[in-house]
Amino acid sequence: MNIIEIRDLHFHYVEQEQVLEDINLTIEKGEWVSVLGHNGSGKSTLSQLIIGLLKADQGEIIVDGLTLNEDTVYDIRKKIGIVFQNPDNQFVGVTVEDDIAFGMENLCFPREEIIRRIDEYSKRVRMNEYLKKEPHNLSGGQKQRVAIAGILAMNTDIIIFDEATSMLDPKGRDEILDYIKEINAQGVTVITITHDMKEAIHSDKIVILKEGKILKVGTPKEVLNDKATLNASNLELLLPLKLMYQLEESKIDNPDLKDYLWQLSLNR
Amino acid sequence: MAIKFEQVSYDYVGVDQTRYRAISNITLDIAETGEFITLIGETGSGKSTLVQHMNALMRPTEGEVTVYGVKIYKDVKKKNKNVKLNPLRQKVGLVFQFPEYQLFEETVERDIMFGPKNFGVSDADAKVRARQALQAVGLDASYLERSPFNLSGGEKKRVSIAGILAMEPDILVLDEPTSGLDPKGREALLKLFTEIHRNLNKTVIIITHDMNTVYEYASRVLVMNKSELVFDGTPDELFLTGDFGSWNLETPDMIDLTRKLETKLGVTFHRLPKTVEDLHAMVLEVLS
Ligand SMILES: Nc1ncnc2c1ncn2[C@@H]1O[C@H](COP(=O)(O)OP(=O)(O)OP(=O)(O)O)[C@@H](O)[C@H]1O
Ligand SMILES: Nc1ncnc2c1ncn2[C@@H]1O[C@H](COP(=O)(O)OP(=O)(O)O)[C@@H](O)[C@H]1O
Ligand SMILES: [Mg+2]
Ligand SMILES: [Mg+2]
Repeated sequence: MNIIEIRDLHFHYVEQEQVLEDINLTIEKGEWVSVLGHNGSGKSTLSQLIIGLLKADQGEIIVDGLTLNEDTVYDIRKKIGIVFQNPDNQFVGVTVEDDIAFGMENLCFPREEIIRRIDEYSKRVRMNEYLKKEPHNLSGGQKQRVAIAGILAMNTDIIIFDEATSMLDPKGRDEILDYIKEINAQGVTVITITHDMKEAIHSDKIVILKEGKILKVGTPKEVLNDKATLNASNLELLLPLKLMYQLEESKIDNPDLKDYLWQLSLNR
Repeated sequence: MAIKFEQVSYDYVGVDQTRYRAISNITLDIAETGEFITLIGETGSGKSTLVQHMNALMRPTEGEVTVYGVKIYKDVKKKNKNVKLNPLRQKVGLVFQFPEYQLFEETVERDIMFGPKNFGVSDADAKVRARQALQAVGLDASYLERSPFNLSGGEKKRVSIAGILAMEPDILVLDEPTSGLDPKGREALLKLFTEIHRNLNKTVIIITHDMNTVYEYASRVLVMNKSELVFDGTPDELFLTGDFGSWNLETPDMIDLTRKLETKLGVTFHRLPKTVEDLHAMVLEVLS
């Protein structure tokens, strides 16, 4: 079943050229989709259109059977949690715990449940010792962790992470990635916007945007196999693949090694 | 020494007067020329706090920082107020972790021109510098008239970097400059910082979580952990002796792949490759 359907979507900001053009995309329930593309390719814009923070010029967005419009936008937002690219844009409360509570309050969670979940999710992101602090006085990575906790706690069917781990240290980033895998395995539909191919290969499907258009949709394996697309889209080849292509050019015929480098790239 | 830290600690003080020690007892020397330093360490370890002492945006709670001969210390009697800090800010250019904290003018052009003009550069020259700096960070001239607030995250980051480049500081300090950049942009900007370091012989200091940057570019690495400076040395020393587990670090891709290939091919490489071409040559050698 498709949980998100996007048809013939077009968008431009006021006094700006076309930002998104002719976007068609379907996302199945329980799927994990990563969106990649150069700076300014339209990734964040697309995510804001999906949750109805921006209004399309043309086209249609259907979320869980509801066509996005003024009447449905609030129902649709209850289904989607989004971690913004800049965590400061997420913060409204005076303290970290207010901020984690905010999304749940909007969804009318009972008080005891909110308190229980603040505890649970602040621990998950290792921010439980900061609950009384002001979010604006945290380090960049700590802000990102709080923003993630607040969205995870809402327990929505769909979660969008817009470069949500860009300021985390490697261990912190891996913890969040493991957690994304876990909720996705439990059936949550996940969209991760990222520049990190090592992260994207864990998803089911990769969407590559270029200058506001979809350049490619495919499985990680299909995308990694498509050198031309990767080159055209400011993306990087993973190191084992770079080596593999160089060995191919040197006419090294070692299928076992080749296969090994493939498996490494796909992190299997 | 251009910048000298002597037993520097900094406490953030909360509204309820609670203190939090963000950096603790840091002693450190940074040369004016020739260093390419990466500053790494886990989230919240004190990296951003540390670098904000380098151009006197923050004053130590304890200890003393000397920047180009000017002593910066806790200013109990506000004596230090008369010391002109402006020249220091031009000498040591700092790009913030969040570009939003740096951007404030109505257009990108005026935003980039602000720094140079503030330090006495003429309007006409500042305009030229703005164009050059914008191009250097990979944005075309059509961005000049845009509002810096209506840009994508990565575009904002690039403009904030351009603003500091246009000041032509002697030492360039960048707080996570490559987070949020697309891979081509990241590579291009790291090349640009390397050129500034090599061709103009300036010191560059970069905060990053990307160990590949440390491996490929750094001449010196600083590691912060829980408010303390726990390592100050070369990348090679770090990869030999660093406590990667408790410092939340990861092995660079190149080292990781080289070691895996040793196991896979049952061989020992006697050195670590710097580039993929290098690794390719090493593999060819053992395969033939
Ligand atoms: N509020 C805005 N007003 C006008 N133009 C905007 C606004 N926000 C973004 N844009 C423009 O729209 C385009 C797409 O921006 P968007 O933020 O969607 O990019 P992105 O793919 O998320 O980039 P990044 O990787 O840098 O985050 C860019 O050219 C950007 O300059
Ligand atoms: N303005 C502030 N007020 C209070 N505490 C702060 C402030 N800024 C940072 N901190 C705290 O100081 C510590 C170090 O922060 P920071 O230097 O930003 O870390 P890093 O850059 O290494 O991630 C963190 O625990 C953070 O919560
Ligand atoms: Mg974005
Ligand atoms: Mg920081």
